[in-house]
Amino acid sequence: MSIDEKIARQAAGVSSLRDYLELLGEHGQFITWPDAIMPEPDIREICVASGTDALAAPAILFDQIRGYPGKQLVAGVHGSFANLALLMGHAKGTTVKELFYDLIGRWGTHNTDLQRVTPGQAPVYQNRIEQGINLYDLLPLYRINTYDGGFYLAKANVVSRDPRDPDNFGKQNVGIYRLQVQGPDLLTLMTIPAHDMGRQIVMAEKDGTPFKISIMLGNHPAMCMFAATPVGYDESEFAYASAMMGAPIRLTESGNGMDILADTEMVIEAELLHGERHFEGPFGEFPGSYSGVRRAPLFRVTAVSHRHNPIFENIYIGKGWTEHDTLIGLNTSAPVYAQLKQRFPEVEAVNALYQHGLTAIISLRNKYGGFAKSVALAALATPHGMMYLKNLIMVDEDVDPFDLNQVMWALSTRTRASDINVLDNMALVPIDPAAVVPGMGHHLIIDATSTAAPEQMGADAQIVSPPSGPEIDALARRVLQLQQEAIK
Amino acid sequence: MIHCPRCQSAETRIEQEGREGEQIIWSIYHCAACSFSWRDSEPEESISYARRDPYFRVDTSAPDQYRIVLPPE
Repeated sequence: MSIDEKIARQAAGVSSLRDYLELLGEHGQFITWPDAIMPEPDIREICVASGTDALAAPAILFDQIRGYPGKQLVAGVHGSFANLALLMGHAKGTTVKELFYDLIGRWGTHNTDLQRVTPGQAPVYQNRIEQGINLYDLLPLYRINTYDGGFYLAKANVVSRDPRDPDNFGKQNVGIYRLQVQGPDLLTLMTIPAHDMGRQIVMAEKDGTPFKISIMLGNHPAMCMFAATPVGYDESEFAYASAMMGAPIRLTESGNGMDILADTEMVIEAELLHGERHFEGPFGEFPGSYSGVRRAPLFRVTAVSHRHNPIFENIYIGKGWTEHDTLIGLNTSAPVYAQLKQRFPEVEAVNALYQHGLTAIISLRNKYGGFAKSVALAALATPHGMMYLKNLIMVDEDVDPFDLNQVMWALSTRTRASDINVLDNMALVPIDPAAVVPGMGHHLIIDATSTAAPEQMGADAQIVSPPSGPEIDALARRVLQLQQEAIK
Repeated sequence: MIHCPRCQSAETRIEQEGREGEQIIWSIYHCAACSFSWRDSEPEESISYARRDPYFRVDTSAPDQYRIVLPPE
């Protein structure tokens, strides 16, 4: 069995956070912090120091947090492409471009395998608390960034049902929403009307119907990765995660009637307090800037279920590179690619890893002079592109858009002043820190493709064509392996 | 009386104490006026009114400047 086959088999057997940490550990991607630390600023500092290594940062378990005896926290679980490679069944050192194409290959698959487990059989029900709930006692909470408004659960998968169609499995939503602890049994949840969660809260308050949520903490790694992907309102994120993993997802039922992952570390059940809004934020968000203070919907916790010795999974998010960039990067790139590819088969790859696509690079086979600019405009008209693709760099197919050294080469050698277009005063995601007016901004297109007829060619420049392709990628991995063996 | 490091309100309550054996090594507080939470062991940059960046102060006497998420009808 080859290394890849072995890892693929191991990845297919992952059904929980714990399984995944074991897999990461086997491949040197999971460490336990050896020292006693203070919640602040130590956790923040260690996460930042580790998280800058987008290619190889390990997941880190903290089990000696002072004042939280016996409590466990893990961060950086999706913090590197090496970790994502293992989740997707590939060896460490698999290139980001290869992971992108793997994800594209899985895109649109519908083979879901959702297995039902009775609550009595589900590990998440090993412990249950319905009285005297105290989140401060249950979780090793800490301030993620210096000026955050409080202690956040920043990587929870929140499940809710459509209040007007509660039995519809597809309309049940799973999403990552930031949650600020507001008391022993109180949480605010940040959302906007455009989110599925926002829609459901508005519906419930309008109709005066109860609105319940189940907050899953410490989940199957595919759930976090794919809960962050926008799917259709009536599409199930559970089904999607299972299809994308090509593996079963085990579900059980929460005490307040949601479908939840049977093997999750902890589930917090809560109910919306109608009409109540509490101060929320600031919170250091993905563009690397703080969101402002808002007044956000408040929820009261009604019960907590958890495994023995639960692991609190959280994320460092802020000025990049952070785990958040790795977690959502490929899933941001894939839909833009899929939508563009339908109209322009010449599109080769989309790299929208940077700040949710505020800067992105698209590679394509250039058909004629000006072609790349037209494709860029089409990219700006995709659902994600309209609001997020602010700076767009177009490169030829001989440039790997995931290798910034190559992108810089294209900018250096293939860009003229006339290759730059600025579209001003356009709609843009309000969270862009550079916005003059939040919600509006520019789109910038830099056409760094080579000249093509009828455009006039530049001075005689014959490009060196070094060998490239899967064989070269495989050789690069071989070099890496030999290097690792040399250490032993 | 403990005042909130963010809005200076005295409407603060103690939420949790972190212990090592019998010794309390930190306490978590929450401000009922502006919803700020903090631990008394944090760096001063986060928990000292004087040392915090004034940009992050909250003025609860003028709540309208803080947008309501999903305004209830």
